[in-house]
Amino acid sequence: MSPVLEIRDYALDYVTRGGTQRVLQAIDLAIAASEVVGLVGESGSGKTSLAWAIMRYLPANAREAPAGRIRLGDTDLRAASARALETIRGRRMSMVFQDPSTALNPTLTIGRQVTEVLVRHRGLGEREAWREAIQALEHVDLRQPEALMRRYPHQASGGEKQRIGIATAFACRPELIVFDEPTTALDVITGARILELFGRLREETGVAALYISHDLALVSRVADRVAILQQGAIVEEAPSATIFRHPLHDYTRRLVAAVPRPERRLVSDQVADDGLLSATNIAVRYQRKRLFRAAPRPATIDVAIDIRRGEILGVVGESGSGKSSIARALTGLADYSGSIALAGRRIDSAGDMDRTYRRAVQIVFQHPDSSLNPRQTVADILSRPLRLYGGDVSTIPSLLEEVRLPAAFAQRYPHQLSGGEKQRVAIARAFAAKPDLIICDEITAPLDVSVQASVVELLLRLRLANGTAYLFITHDLNLVQQVAHRIAVMRNGEIVDLLGIEDLRSGNMHPYTRELIAASPAPVG
Amino acid sequence: MTDTLRRLMRTPQGVLGSVLLVGLILACILGSTAAPYQPEAMDFAGRFAAPGVKHWFGADQLGRDVLSRLLVGARSTIPLAVAATFSGAAAGACIGTLSAYLGGWWDEAITRTIDAVMAVPHLLLALILVSTLGKGSLNAAFAIAISVVPSMARVTRSVALAVRQQEYVKAAIARGESGSWIVLREMLPNVAAPVVIEATIRVAFAVMLFATLSFLGLGAQPPASEWGLMVSEARRFMHQAPWVIVAPSLAIAATAICFNLLGDGLRDALNPRDER
Repeated sequence: MSPVLEIRDYALDYVTRGGTQRVLQAIDLAIAASEVVGLVGESGSGKTSLAWAIMRYLPANAREAPAGRIRLGDTDLRAASARALETIRGRRMSMVFQDPSTALNPTLTIGRQVTEVLVRHRGLGEREAWREAIQALEHVDLRQPEALMRRYPHQASGGEKQRIGIATAFACRPELIVFDEPTTALDVITGARILELFGRLREETGVAALYISHDLALVSRVADRVAILQQGAIVEEAPSATIFRHPLHDYTRRLVAAVPRPERRLVSDQVADDGLLSATNIAVRYQRKRLFRAAPRPATIDVAIDIRRGEILGVVGESGSGKSSIARALTGLADYSGSIALAGRRIDSAGDMDRTYRRAVQIVFQHPDSSLNPRQTVADILSRPLRLYGGDVSTIPSLLEEVRLPAAFAQRYPHQLSGGEKQRVAIARAFAAKPDLIICDEITAPLDVSVQASVVELLLRLRLANGTAYLFITHDLNLVQQVAHRIAVMRNGEIVDLLGIEDLRSGNMHPYTRELIAASPAPVG
Repeated sequence: MTDTLRRLMRTPQGVLGSVLLVGLILACILGSTAAPYQPEAMDFAGRFAAPGVKHWFGADQLGRDVLSRLLVGARSTIPLAVAATFSGAAAGACIGTLSAYLGGWWDEAITRTIDAVMAVPHLLLALILVSTLGKGSLNAAFAIAISVVPSMARVTRSVALAVRQQEYVKAAIARGESGSWIVLREMLPNVAAPVVIEATIRVAFAVMLFATLSFLGLGAQPPASEWGLMVSEARRFMHQAPWVIVAPSLAIAATAICFNLLGDGLRDALNPRDER
């Protein structure tokens, strides 16, 4: 049987001012009917470019090598005219995007957007299309599809929107669906449910799918075969059952090694019961009560947290659960009620936070791109905490060395650094203050797995050298199980569970914690 | 910096604007030495001489050479307009950034005040200020600077609001930096690009506003050869000797166009689109 999608010897360049850049080279990939192929690669490896090449929607500066072929069934997609492609896209192949909040047009009702595909490609009348669309939405387990059809995208949740995207993609029974990181922008539990839905739909429809992701653990669960993309070339292709156990290529081995495995602890020491910081009854409100509006629900309610010296306390929860609000309260970025005590000294508001407190509690933010001022050199960035907290500016080279960056980086600007390097500079900035506690707010989330592993390794090494405690905020349960001494689980602004890592092993936990762990794909094998 | 300049030179507006700007700068620096006559040298025999070999742009009602007056007048027109705009823009940028940084009630108060000031048209505001402070070039320049402030504060505030959300600003607050450091050193450099672009375009308005004030007799005073004043003086003889009014009008227009083009070019150069 001929494959649904066949890519042969495909190469792609982007022409930029700096010259021609090779994005994809010698890509050979085939997807048979009812097969799911996972495409895994780090950022910049060309995953999304390949997706757009298949969808025939490349930017104007893309140059394809003439020899390459992309065939959908018996159609040569590269030779297809723009008009022919209009009938192929949406009908014979469709795509599910990464960010459901931007994939739907905010000015059209959901009903319009789902029926549009049906009217356009299946020639249904408005009324038939409407009925069909309701069925399609029901099929992806959306409750009250009729009501939902009349709503606008902003009135639906992220998970609902992604289901709508999937329903639209499946609506015309295409031969091939390209999934571009469909769960990355979603919460763990919502993402897990989307994956369940995907599994059910593919069994029912037998659609062929290309599943693009940076998450090897996740892809190995979803896909039949996995192709590993490195700098535009497929370096290994193997059944997903074996890729974790017997990675052949060096790069795959490195990727597999970098995937966090909950059972492999990276921290072995125990911390003494020596309290460093304790916070009680912390409530963070972002909006006050207004004249005609009741005060909204606070972001956190009566949160109590205590951190011991040198401890790593993991804080997990879905987005909007109040994790980051805790970080903001502890660093004085948000007003809070309640009280914080650092080494016995009480701090009742952000105004009470003096230099001693600010030095002792440092924060590293999620996005390395925005946490470094683009107009300052690395040396400028690092010299600020040194000047403020009485350090010596001449220690900048050794600070850089501690985070394993060459001393020459001091003269560089942030845009000359990679994401991982920027995050190292941000860590160096936090350590420049010689803090007792560093709040790590999702610091590994935007990084590639291999970079993530090296940043975590760096943090743990610095902790051993300096005895710093970490408040490690993350949504990655596998990672937090590797490093944390204790884990606080948050939901809707409250801590629902606070347990030591031993309790987690013994399974003595809150049902919500169990649900979270079940939803995090642990690597196969 | 050199990178910005190179990108500026890749746009046609940038090239044309820069060429005009170099011409204007040369006129400001070398104007009085290059001028063929003394700007105040009268020649009653040559009153209203038409443009020709002797007087390239003709002569005015007192027989003064128009070209010489233009060249000398450049120095009393352009530098003041540029200085007024950029000082006003700098003040506006600081106010706008501060407003975005403080947020909440302070932001509301500052923005509403700016709105109130903006409700008064530029020319009217400048007229009020000059008639209060008294006639003269410096007072006119000051009035222009003040009239630039509110709109620049507005533009800056909208950009600064986005910068305020960046994590490096949060990091500075969490570090316990002072407000002035955060506004001046962390935020201001990152809002500079739109401010520079907007200010460059505003120079064109300032030149015209300055000329208008002089035209109305509130800016430069005779016998200065400020361009607006030249237009004002030549008005009475418009039918008799149109060249006397055309030359300074064209000079004002060329300056305005120069800074507008430069502003457009800078907009493209400082906001590099995706380089791919």
